[in-house]
Amino acid sequence: MFWFCRTAVKGPYRVQKGNDMSETVAAGPAVSIRSMSKWYGDFQVLKNINLTVKFGERVVICGPSGSGKSTLIRCLNRLEVHQDGDIVVNGVELTMDMKKVEAVRREVGMVFQSFNLFPHLTVLQNCVLAQRRALKRSKQEATEVAMRFLTQVRIPEQRDKFPGQLSGGQQQRVAIARALCLEPKIMLFDEPTSALDPEMVNEVLDTMVGMAKTGMTMLCVTHEMGFARQVADRVIFMDAGQIVEQNDPESFFTNPQHERTKAFLGQIL
Amino acid sequence: MFDFRFYEIWREPEYIDRLLHGCLVSIELSTAGGILGMILGLVLVSAQGKSSPKLLSGFAQGYIETVRNTPFIVQLFFVAFGLPQLLHYRWSFEASALLAMTLNFSAYFAEVVRAGISSIPTGQIEAAGSLCLTKRQIFLDIVLPQALCNVYPSLTSQFVFLFLTTGLISEIGVEDLTWAGRFVADRNFRDFEVFIVLTVLYVAIVFGYKAIFNALNRYAFPWRSIR
Amino acid sequence: MSALLEPVFGPFYSNVIGTLVNATQWTIYLSLTAFIGGGLIGLLFTILKISPIGWLRKVATGYIWLFQAIPLLMLLFLIGLGIPSFFHISVAPWVAASVSLTLFTSAYMSEVWRGALESVAKGQWEGGRALGLTFGEILWFIVSPQALRIATPPTVGFMVQVIKGTSMAYIIDYNDLMRWGKKIANSQLDGAEPYIIYPMVALIYFCLCFPLSKWSKSLEKKMATRSR
Ligand SMILES: Nc1ncnc2c1ncn2[C@@H]1O[C@H](COP(=O)(O)OP(=O)(O)OP(=O)(O)O)[C@@H](O)[C@H]1O
Ligand SMILES: [Mg+2]
Repeated sequence: MFWFCRTAVKGPYRVQKGNDMSETVAAGPAVSIRSMSKWYGDFQVLKNINLTVKFGERVVICGPSGSGKSTLIRCLNRLEVHQDGDIVVNGVELTMDMKKVEAVRREVGMVFQSFNLFPHLTVLQNCVLAQRRALKRSKQEATEVAMRFLTQVRIPEQRDKFPGQLSGGQQQRVAIARALCLEPKIMLFDEPTSALDPEMVNEVLDTMVGMAKTGMTMLCVTHEMGFARQVADRVIFMDAGQIVEQNDPESFFTNPQHERTKAFLGQIL
Repeated sequence: MFDFRFYEIWREPEYIDRLLHGCLVSIELSTAGGILGMILGLVLVSAQGKSSPKLLSGFAQGYIETVRNTPFIVQLFFVAFGLPQLLHYRWSFEASALLAMTLNFSAYFAEVVRAGISSIPTGQIEAAGSLCLTKRQIFLDIVLPQALCNVYPSLTSQFVFLFLTTGLISEIGVEDLTWAGRFVADRNFRDFEVFIVLTVLYVAIVFGYKAIFNALNRYAFPWRSIR
Repeated sequence: MSALLEPVFGPFYSNVIGTLVNATQWTIYLSLTAFIGGGLIGLLFTILKISPIGWLRKVATGYIWLFQAIPLLMLLFLIGLGIPSFFHISVAPWVAASVSLTLFTSAYMSEVWRGALESVAKGQWEGGRALGLTFGEILWFIVSPQALRIATPPTVGFMVQVIKGTSMAYIIDYNDLMRWGKKIANSQLDGAEPYIIYPMVALIYFCLCFPLSKWSKSLEKKMATRSR
C-alpha cells in the first residue's frame, strides 16, 4: 500500500536560510517543515514530511480519514509534538522551549472541527480573554478588537450570549473571530465545517473566503472542494502519513497524478 | 401514650437562648469550615496537578485518602486532644472544631473537584493552548470554572453531609446546637421532644443552606441553565 | 492475639492493639447489620418509589426524604435517648444503634438505587410493556439487571459511609472501636496519649474503608470504559 508513496515531495520549496534572524522573519516562509516524522508509540503517523508555505499562501490539505492531516496541522502550533526533523513557523523553530512555543502560538490561530468555544464565557469574553492574557491588552482595547472581528464574521449582536445559545455555524464563526483577535499571521483550520449541518456550512466558508481575501496565510484541512477551488493556491493530498501529491487546485482536480489521489477524488467528488 | 411536652422547652427563656446561640455557632463554624476547606481543597487540587512534583502530589493524594476513609469523629478527637499535646500548644475547642472541619471538607472538596477537572474535554485545553494561554491561565480561566460548575451539585450535597455531622463537635465541648440540645435535655428530661426540635432546626438550617446554594448557583454559573 | 503481638510491640501496646482490634468486631457487626437491614428496607422503598400506585410512591418519597434529612446523630439521640425516656422503656445501645444506622442506610440506598433505575432508558419500560409484560416482570427481567451495573459502584462506596457512620454510635454507649479508642485515650496511662491512640484507631478504620473505596472506584472505572 505504501510503496508508491515513497516519492517524497521535493518540489521547488526550499527552506531559506539566513544568518540575520529579523530578515528571515520578514522574508522567509510562514511555515517550513523539513523531514519531519511523528510516532504514536510504535505507530508512525507522519513520515518524513517536507512542506513550505509562503506568507499569504493558502493551502488546502485533504486525504482519507486517518491519513494524519490533523496531526500535521496540530504539529504546527505544537498541540502535538514531533519527534524527528524540524518545523520552523514564522522564523521560530519549534522545540521544547515553551517561550518559543508561545511565540509561535501568538502568531498562529487555530479553528477546530468541534469549535471548542469556552462554554462558561460569553461570545465577547471568549474573544477578549486571550487578548488580555497573552497580549496584555487593556479591557477596552480588547473589547474594541473583539467587536471588530465579531462584526467581520457578522455576529456582533450575539456578543453577550453564551456559546450554548448559538447555532453550530454561529459558534464556528465566533471561534474564527476568537482566533483572529490575536491578529495572527497564520491561520490553521482542522475540518472547520464537518461538524456543521449542511445549511450552515456556507456561512462559515463565506467567512473563510473573506479572510482569504485579506491575504491571510491559511492552512486548511477540509473536504470542501468548492472552497479549495475558489481560494486555494495549492492543494495537498495526504495518505498514510505522507504527502502524496501537491499541485494548484486546477491541475489537482482535473489532472491528478497518483492512483490514490484519483481514487480519493473519485470518492468525494 | 403520646404525651408530648414541647412547652418544657419554650418555658425557660434560657433554653431558647441556648438553642438559638447553638444554631449560630453551628452555622458559623460550618460555614467557616466550608470556606476554609474550599481554599485548602484548591491547594490540594493544584498539588495534584500534572506538573507538580511527584512527592507533593503523592502527599496530597495520601492526605485525601486518609481523611476520606476515616470517621470525622476520630479526626476531631485527634485534632482536639492529640495535636495540642503533640505540639505543646493549646487552643480553644472552637478552633479545634474549625480545624477538623476544614481539614475534613478540604479532602472531599479536592476529590470531587479533581474528578470534575478530569471530565473537562481536552478540546478545551487545546483551544486555550492554541490561544497562547499559559498552563496556569488555562487551569484558572478555563478548566477550574467549568469543573466547579460541573461538580457544584455534589459539592453542595457534600457540604450538607458535613454539616449534618457537625453535631459531633459538641463532644469536645463546643457549644453548638447539639450541645445546647443536650444541655436542655439534661435539665428538663424531655429528651425525645428536645431532639425532635433539634432535628427540625437542623433540617431548617439545611434548607437555608440549600436556598443560598441555589442562589449562588445562578449567580456564579450563569451559563449553566442555557445548555 | 496479644501473645502474638507481644514480641513486636511490647506488652503494653500489644494489649492496646488487641483491645482495639477486638472492639473492631462490633464496628463490623454494626456495619453489616446496617448494610443488610438498610439494603433490604431500602430495596422495599425503591420499589415503592417507582411503583405504579400513586400513594405508595408518596409514602416512599416521604420516607426517603425524612431519613435523609434527619442527621444520623439526631437519629441516634432520638432512638437511643429520646424513645427510652419518652416511652419509659429501655433500649439497648446495640438495638438503638442498629435501628438508627439501618434507617439512615435504607434512605440513602433507595435514593441511589432509584437513580440507577431511572437512568435506565424509558424505552426499556415501554418496550417491555409493548411485549405485554407486567410491572414486576419488566422490573425483574429487563430494568434491574441494567440498573444493577450502574448502582454497584455507589453502593459499595456507600458502605464506606456506613462504616464511618457507625463511629457515632459510641455516643449512645455502643461498645465499638471508637468507644474503646476513646476509653484508652482518656486513660491517662503513659503511652496511651490521644496522639498515639487516635491515629491507631484511624488506621483500623482506614483498613476497613480503604479497600472498599478502591473497589468502588475500580468498579466505576470498569463501567466507564465498558459503556464507552
Ligand atoms: N493520541 C493518539 N494516539 C494514538 N494514535 C493516534 C492519536 N491521535 C491520532 N492517532 C492516529 O493517528 C492517525 C492519524 O490521525 P489524524 O487525526 O491526524 O487523522 P486525520 O487525517 O485527521 O483523520 P480524520 O479525517 O478522520 O480527521 C490515525 O490513524 C489515528 O488513529
Ligand atoms: Mg482530523
